[in-house]
Order: sequence, then structure tokens, then C-alpha cells
Amino acid sequence: MTDPIIIDMGIVALTGALATIGGAAEDLESDVGSQSNPNSQVQLAAQMDFPHRIFNKAISGEPPAYGLWCASSAVVAAVLLESMSVFFALAIGSLVGAILLGMFSVTAHMGRTASQSRFKQPLYMDMVIGHVPAIMAHGYVAVFCIISFSYIMNTIMGHPFPLPLLALFWGVTAGAIGSSTGDVHYGAEREFQNQPFGCGLNASFSGNIVRKGEVGLRNGMDNVWACAKFGGPVTGLALGLTVFLDNWRSTIFTGDNAEWFAIIAGLIIVVVLILLNRIVELNGRKAYGPYKDEEEGGATA
Amino acid sequence: MTDFISLFDPISIVLITIGGILIGMGVHFIPVGGAPAAMAQATGVGTGTVQLAAGAGLTGLISAGFMYHMLGNDGLTNIELIQVMVSGAVGAMIMIAVTMFIGQLVYVYCVGVPPVSAKVDKDPITGDIQDIYVSKGTEGHGIPTVSFVSGVIGGLLGGTGGSLIYAILMNAGYPESIRSIAGPSPEIVALAGIFSAGVFYVNAVVASYNIGGTIEGFHDPKFKRVPKAIICCLIASLLCAAIAVPIMGGLI
Repeated sequence: MTDPIIIDMGIVALTGALATIGGAAEDLESDVGSQSNPNSQVQLAAQMDFPHRIFNKAISGEPPAYGLWCASSAVVAAVLLESMSVFFALAIGSLVGAILLGMFSVTAHMGRTASQSRFKQPLYMDMVIGHVPAIMAHGYVAVFCIISFSYIMNTIMGHPFPLPLLALFWGVTAGAIGSSTGDVHYGAEREFQNQPFGCGLNASFSGNIVRKGEVGLRNGMDNVWACAKFGGPVTGLALGLTVFLDNWRSTIFTGDNAEWFAIIAGLIIVVVLILLNRIVELNGRKAYGPYKDEEEGGATA
Repeated sequence: MTDFISLFDPISIVLITIGGILIGMGVHFIPVGGAPAAMAQATGVGTGTVQLAAGAGLTGLISAGFMYHMLGNDGLTNIELIQVMVSGAVGAMIMIAVTMFIGQLVYVYCVGVPPVSAKVDKDPITGDIQDIYVSKGTEGHGIPTVSFVSGVIGGLLGGTGGSLIYAILMNAGYPESIRSIAGPSPEIVALAGIFSAGVFYVNAVVASYNIGGTIEGFHDPKFKRVPKAIICCLIASLLCAAIAVPIMGGLI
């Protein structure tokens, strides 16, 4: 007979896998549509006399936005769960979230661009038509994965929070992780490939984003193509690790004092991450610094 | 009918206020560089104060909810209350540590910058020299060890505060007189969760006004502003608690 812990671990692994895919899709969605902190440069570019063809919809931070999409989708799914199968309920719920995201994208992009008319930033209708389906598609995958693992936590793992509340909380967390990790690839690297590698962005180059693409003028599709190679996957890894490690330590221990073991395991994970961070820090310092030649002629790489 | 005045349980209100203060303090520990950090122009995580603190705090709340469900359906003893709080703290610490670590991978292996603080000459924990590693035209970049440890402490405080608020609100909405084997109804759990998240957001926003955009951690000169945040969070949390506790108690 199968040990119940194996089934429990399988479920925990499934939540981690869903979170990984959801996190990656979440970050890539924010790269196509340029939502989050790097968008400050997209917004600034037009004001610095650099009109561009980058989609721009950052009228809200990613965490509250994803909290909204996930909670709305989960509410629809929770209602539909009473009359149809789980898979269809979650799929239709996510579709509602994706449609809301599409509406948000169109209005936010048009509003933001219209507000920049004094800087001669044009509103390209072909970009609206071309980008919004890609935004909705990435958003759909992200929302579906997040509400799916919320459903698993609620129904199978027995979490007391109702599905919409869990989806809201995980949506906020997914947005926070996406804007903290993967978006740095978009903001510090992809937007400024015209600057030397191996140093931070000099504040005097703010707004001077890369506007020419591999072919033609660069747009959100070109950005997501590049960010899908590093920023997206690592964001998925971050959300997946958060969900997996937190659920793993809550599930693996059974019997007496399981609560204390779960707490101690969590503390050990945190200490290991601090040590790993130190190793990465040392590698970074060895590879890129010090910037001794700063005074003579810019940073050395 | 429940007596209106008795709904204002002073102990619950005081404990929720303490939870709010812990959250406000925790936010000051979390190294956030805001939009400049997303362009490797400032030290810290490249997002807003409230966003990251809320992400970590809500993950902690999910862990605390799990733990409360395991322990508290027959009422919480003092040691069980501590277990719920520590569990929430560990959940928040895991989220913030994973986020900072993966963010660090992006800074070092994708953007190509060494983690460095521009606010101190030497890292107070590792003793590494900082200023010569700051690249031209920036205020530091990445997450040096001191900021990482500070962020973990921030997660600890934020997660503890959020879970304390959740546990107290659950006790107010699900007191001994109505406890059953079935456990609390989903409505009570949902309301306690939403109020906890609400109190969390209020305190995170109040604290982020005090920070004013970016902070590197406890070694940052801005950290000296914490006493002001404690007073503001005390007032804000007291108001939140005075509203939340009677509502939860009135559900019975």
C-alpha cells in the first residue's frame, strides 16, 4: 500500500510545479505589457524626447493587479464549482480573469499614451491589436496556475482559507515576486542593452531605452522574447520555491511536535538561503569589481 | 443579544495594535530600492516597499492560517499562539529570502553587477569593502549580505505581526462558547484573513511613507526614523483594531 506521505508529497510537488509555470507566465505578461518598475523608464523615454513602440500599461503595481485578477477568477470558479467539473470551472474562471486583464490593458495603455500626447508619443493601434492577445494569453496561464494550486491547497491539503481569499493572497505574492526578480532582467538589462555590461545603469542615461529591435523597431514582443530566456524562468523558480518549500515543511512532518519541526525546517531553509546568497555575492564581487577606473573612463566590466 | 460595549475586548485590541507595530517595524528592515533598483541604480529589491512587505506578510498569513487550522479549532493555548505566530514568521521569511536570493541571481548573472551598499563603507556583517564596488552614476546595486539579513528580519517581524493579528481576530470571531468539532465557519476565517491583510496593508503603507521610496536595511540612516513609524502605526493599528474586533465579535 502506498504510504500517504508519498501522495502528500506528490500534491506538494504539483503545487510547486503549477506555481513555477504561473510565476514565469506572470513575469512574461508584465514584460509584454511593460507593467511594473522598469516601466518608469518607458514612461520617461517619451518625456526625454525618445518616442518608442513599447506597450505601456503600468497604472497599478503588479501585486494588487494580480491579486485582483486571481481573486476575480477564483470567485467565478468557486461559483461554477457548484455546477460543473473542477477543470472547467477553473478554466472558465481564468478566462474571466484574462478578459478583465485585456480590458485593463487596453484602457491603461490608451490612457497612459494619451496623457503623453504633449511629448508627441503616438498611440499605435497595431500595437494594441498585436500585444493585447499576448498579454491576455500569458495572463490566462498565470491566473489558471495560481488559482489551480490555490484550489489544491484549499480542497486537497485542507487549508482553511476559502478559494478566493487564497487566490487573492497568492496573486499578491506572485505579483510581488514577479516585480522583484524577473523584471530586473527587463529593466536593468533588456531596456538598456545600449549601455556597457557589468555595471548598474548610470542615472544620467535614464529614459534612453533601446528603441531599435533585432528587426525593425523594438516592441513588447521583442522584450518578452529576450526575457523568456532568463527573467521569466527565474521568476517561476522563485514563486515555485516559495510555494513548494512552505507547503513542504507544513506537510512532511507528522506525529508529535510536527509543528516545531516544521518551524525548525523553515528556519534551516532561510539560513541555507543566506549562505547561498553570500556565495553568489562573492562570485559577483570577484567577477565585476572593483570599479577602480571609474574616474578615468567609466566602469570596467 | 451581545452587549455592544463588551465587544470592545481591550486585550484583543492591544494585541492587534502590537501586531501592527511589528509590521510597521518589519517594513523598515526590508531592503527595497523601488524603481531605481529595477534598473540596478539602487541597492535592494527592485520593487516597492508595500508590495514586497505585503507579499511576504500574506505568505506568512497563509502559513499561519494552516497552523491555526491544525492547532486552534479547540482554542489556542499560549504556546499554540506562539507556534502560529512563529509559523507565520517563518513563512514570510522563506518568501522574502527566496525572492531576494533569486533577485540576487538576476543582478549577478544577468545584469552583471556585484551586490553592494552605497550607504556604508564596509558591510557590517561580512566586513567587505563597499564603496569601490559601486558602479558609476548609481546608488549601489544588488542585495549585499547585510541587506539580505535585514530583509529576513523584516520578514520575521512582518510575519509575526500578521499572524498575531489573524490569531487574535480568529479568537474574537470564534470564541470558546461556540467552538465545535467542525471548526470555524469559512465566513469567519475569510473575514479574519481579510482584516489581517487590511491591517497589514495599512501599516505597510504608513511605514513606507516614513521610508520615502528606498531603504537598504537596518544599516541605512533612514532606519533611525523607526520611532516615528512606531507612533504612527500604533495610532493606525489602534483604529483598525477598534473597528475589526467588534465586527468579528459581532458575528457570533
